[in-house]
Amino acid sequence: MLCYAPRMGEVTVAPGSQASLREANTARVVDALKQYGRLTQVEIASATGLSPATVSNIVRQLLSERAVETTATTRSGRRAQQVNLVRSSSMAIGVHIGPRAMDLTLTDTTLDAVERLHLPLPADHRFDTTLDRAALLTAEMADASGAGISDVAAVGVAMPSSLRRGPNGFVGLDAWEDIDVAAVLGTRLGRKVVVAREVDAAAVAEARLGSLKGVGLGLYVRVGESTDSAVVSEGTVLRGAPGIGHVQAQPAGAICRCGGRGCLNTLTSIQAMQELLRISHGALQLRDIVQLANRGDRGCLQVIRDVGQAIGVAIGDVASVIGPDAIVVGGPLAATGEALLRPIREALASRPVLPDSGELLVASVLDGDIESLGVSALAHDSVDQPSVRER
Amino acid sequence: MLPLLQVRGVHKYFGGVHALEGVDFEVGAGEVVGLVGDNAAGKSTLARIIAGVYRPDAGDVLLEGKPVQIASPKMALDLGIATVFQEFALVESLDVVSNLFLGREIVHRGLLARDEMERLTRSYLRQLNSRIPDVHVQLQTLSAGQRQCVSIARALVTDPRIIVLDEPTASLSVAQTAEVLQHIERLRDMGLGVVFIGHNLSDIRAVADRIEVLRHGHNNGSFPAGSAKQEDLLAAITGAARYPSRAPA
Repeated sequence: MLCYAPRMGEVTVAPGSQASLREANTARVVDALKQYGRLTQVEIASATGLSPATVSNIVRQLLSERAVETTATTRSGRRAQQVNLVRSSSMAIGVHIGPRAMDLTLTDTTLDAVERLHLPLPADHRFDTTLDRAALLTAEMADASGAGISDVAAVGVAMPSSLRRGPNGFVGLDAWEDIDVAAVLGTRLGRKVVVAREVDAAAVAEARLGSLKGVGLGLYVRVGESTDSAVVSEGTVLRGAPGIGHVQAQPAGAICRCGGRGCLNTLTSIQAMQELLRISHGALQLRDIVQLANRGDRGCLQVIRDVGQAIGVAIGDVASVIGPDAIVVGGPLAATGEALLRPIREALASRPVLPDSGELLVASVLDGDIESLGVSALAHDSVDQPSVRER
Repeated sequence: MLPLLQVRGVHKYFGGVHALEGVDFEVGAGEVVGLVGDNAAGKSTLARIIAGVYRPDAGDVLLEGKPVQIASPKMALDLGIATVFQEFALVESLDVVSNLFLGREIVHRGLLARDEMERLTRSYLRQLNSRIPDVHVQLQTLSAGQRQCVSIARALVTDPRIIVLDEPTASLSVAQTAEVLQHIERLRDMGLGVVFIGHNLSDIRAVADRIEVLRHGHNNGSFPAGSAKQEDLLAAITGAARYPSRAPA
């Protein structure tokens, strides 16, 4: 079956010609279907601004190419044709469960994000409620996209790294120590569930679809509630290390949650940032700090600069040891852009033995929740249908 | 910073029933305040006083520090207070654009400004990150989650500073709840003061900054949402714990 994925940059006909206009309009229809899932032709016309006649012609052509399929439905008491993109029959769902939110991404084997969902969660959300909701959302997302739950071959769950080895490895939320997420969710959904650290999942997404694609040795650093890292070699994430968050940043520093002294996390974790901002700003969440920084709040920008400096030093140390070809800095705090990246770049530039920091440090180009995207790729892998490594 | 809205020592009687006994409440700009309590705790009564449906029998309501008398729902709207009640107040057989501007249609020289209303409708829906593709479909074809989005968008038409949501996630699926919770986060990001009345503590704790508990018509605790434990909130709601003053718990 053909998966229609036209890209706007690949028009090969003369711009302005009838044929190029047709291609552009077809791309608009496909984009609308990607965004909303299933639409009737009238809805497509409204969403794209194209005339019903144009939409009808385009849909007829896409049908003949087997890029879309139609199902009968009713609208306002009239029969209508609902159109949806044809997907390869094997889908996977990636679930990223963090301390304050859950993100789901439904992908096909080309790792196209068919459907995405974001659910805010309370501070100490319970494993049974959250996993129950994850199961319900999985089924709802599958239905909304035009596939069914039976088309979902596997599920992946990405969670923060953990200092203790739990039933699923060194991964899990604080209060979920003894919970075997793979078993609980696997039983609920009747499907294979793979569990991975969120930083590894994000690195997989970058390696398959993003800025680490085709890179021999890549370093991915995730700056969020804590700082974590993953090393990607020839497209595969190397597992098993505690991560850059436990590099010693201050020999006489504070005690880390791991018990060690002066770990990078004691300077860069959300708790460290909250402490610095408590008197001036009161209690702030990570998303508040990001938002305030993006609006120019000087206190938050100062704290982020300090965090960037500390991380930059640590990345410089790691880079001197492993010599990566590319370094990507991602995670929630990376949404502040240059506020976080500039001090890191400057720290790397101050190391004469490292290559030009401007080329070494690359921005992430993926948007949306990439942890759930990456863990859905691992889920595809687990059913012996390796997701496409080159698109 | 002065709160946008303050309710101080408000009492309300219905016949012999003392529905609200000296209740305090406040909400600031860019803040989501959860209002929780059992049935008959007084949440809806308080919401209706803020919305101008009822008038308090005693106590003060202040807007940016200045005492006001919210004499009617229209006056509440004029003061910048919009309310979305559970019953939706939408017309099923009209389309999304018409519902958004029902009763407040934009008119130029006696003619409906259809294009402008349509453009504004799309703009409000986009601000809320809505997934409604066609603004010309009748409301009855939309799902419950999408209708909730239209209700919230309708409240934005009057350019409010405060928006009161009464049970916005009741009878919604998990995916629809996720959408509405995101809309609420967007409202806060837009700088509005949001009052989130509900029963589902998970949903409220997911997006609120602070949670106020009412019990049998009086305050029973004020909790910062980030650190409040579910058990403490339940204890306050059910009366297992008592918080006589509204000092932060």
